[in-house]
Amino acid sequence: MMGYAVFWLMLAQAGHGSQGGQDMGAVWNSHMMEEVADAHHFIIPGLNRVIDLPQLPPIHIGALSVDLSPTKHVIWLMIAATLCALTLIWTARRTHGKGAGKAPKGMANVIEAFVIYLRDEVALRNIGHGGERFVPFVLTLFFFILFMNLLGLVPFGATATGNIMVTGALAVLALVAIEVGGFLHLGPRAYLKTIVYVPEGLPWFGKIPMALIMTPVEAIAKLARIFALAIRLFANMTAGHLVILSLVGLIFMAGAGAGSIKDVVWPAPVLMAVAIMLMEIFIALLQAYIFAMLTSVFIGLVRHPH
Amino acid sequence: MMMAIESRRRGRALGKGAAALALVCVASLAAALPLLAQEEHGEGAGGGGLFAINPGLVIWTWVIFLILLFVLRKWAWGPILGALEARERRIQEALDGASRERDEATRLLEQQRKLLDESRDQAQQILADGRKAGERMRSELLEEARRQREQIVGNAKEDIERERDQALEVLRREAVNLSISAAGRVLELEVDSSENRRLVEEYLEDLARESGREKSG
Repeated sequence: MMGYAVFWLMLAQAGHGSQGGQDMGAVWNSHMMEEVADAHHFIIPGLNRVIDLPQLPPIHIGALSVDLSPTKHVIWLMIAATLCALTLIWTARRTHGKGAGKAPKGMANVIEAFVIYLRDEVALRNIGHGGERFVPFVLTLFFFILFMNLLGLVPFGATATGNIMVTGALAVLALVAIEVGGFLHLGPRAYLKTIVYVPEGLPWFGKIPMALIMTPVEAIAKLARIFALAIRLFANMTAGHLVILSLVGLIFMAGAGAGSIKDVVWPAPVLMAVAIMLMEIFIALLQAYIFAMLTSVFIGLVRHPH
Repeated sequence: MMMAIESRRRGRALGKGAAALALVCVASLAAALPLLAQEEHGEGAGGGGLFAINPGLVIWTWVIFLILLFVLRKWAWGPILGALEARERRIQEALDGASRERDEATRLLEQQRKLLDESRDQAQQILADGRKAGERMRSELLEEARRQREQIVGNAKEDIERERDQALEVLRREAVNLSISAAGRVLELEVDSSENRRLVEEYLEDLARESGREKSG
């Protein structure tokens, strides 16, 4: 992301010459959106070469027209998935088979520590009895989101999790895992009770209005959790990148300013951009953790209703 | 058997229910998409905005995620989690083994100590017994030796006494004979033999009595 931005900006500056700050602000503004939003072309990292991605005719399913042509974020999804698979399979090779008898060390040990923490403290603790079946799902969710988040911080990279469609799709997968997990664990009758809320110990004329009022609330609560999951990840990633991009823009704005401003002001946005960048690394981890954690918590909540 | 079939049928029914539920979850959200898309178009925001609605991307995400889940499950999570469990089990076994061996070692040490104590006691006992036996044997030997000495001395004394008495007797008899023969020679005719003999014998009796008195005195 950043590398491309700087490169692009230098080009832009060379092109615009001495046109000054105001124009540049507007150009930068639209560029920021271009960085964050999805597109039908892919820029090869480091080369500044634009590839137009193939456009497929949309498929119509009822009222919905689905355009399956790959976009920039699809490519980054694939890159994240590939890196994720390679890293974790490499780790598996190190810990399994030949390396099984040896003490874990190095990078494999770091990833293993993550795996152990996610298995014991996130998945098993929150899902409770029978949580072993969800461990691969929660682990995959965490590492996939982590890789997508981190790819946004790599020069020339982009974050697929900065797209509401991607986070929404992941949240729907989480919803399916939560509800199906609960259904299989509780059976149809008990599962229905998690939607249709019938309070215990009330006479029938109390139960019916309570059920009528509370059922939509319960149903909405199920969807609201998922909605929050999608929005939280999307907003965190997008906001972080917009802040960094703004600060990077500010560096050049300062550079294009009048003499005295140019020489004095520039360190401030540089320092701020570096600080936010460091924070973003933390947030990339944190948001992946929160997504995995909350998914586990919700799975546990449905499986063990109070 | 019946129960197994029953539970399998229930499992299948549950599976169908779960699949239906998953479909409902996905469909209810998919149904929301065209509404959102229409709203988007209504605003005229077009393709490139932050909130661009693109159902294709959703499908792509699902496909990529599910492929990743499958791949990782097969080649990463299985081996990693398996290795972790194996290692945990191994460590637990090692800990258990160590504690078991420590208990065993403590037990053996205790046994050894008891054995050592016992053998020390035994040695002490044997030593004491030996000393006592030696003592007893020594005193017995001493007693025996004393008794033998006394016996020997007693025998010797008796022998001497007897020899002396015999010698005295013989001497006396000899003296009588000598005296008689001597006196006979001197007094040949003068003295009635039997009368004199009585006198001499009386005299000799007196002598013997005197000498006996002397000896006892």
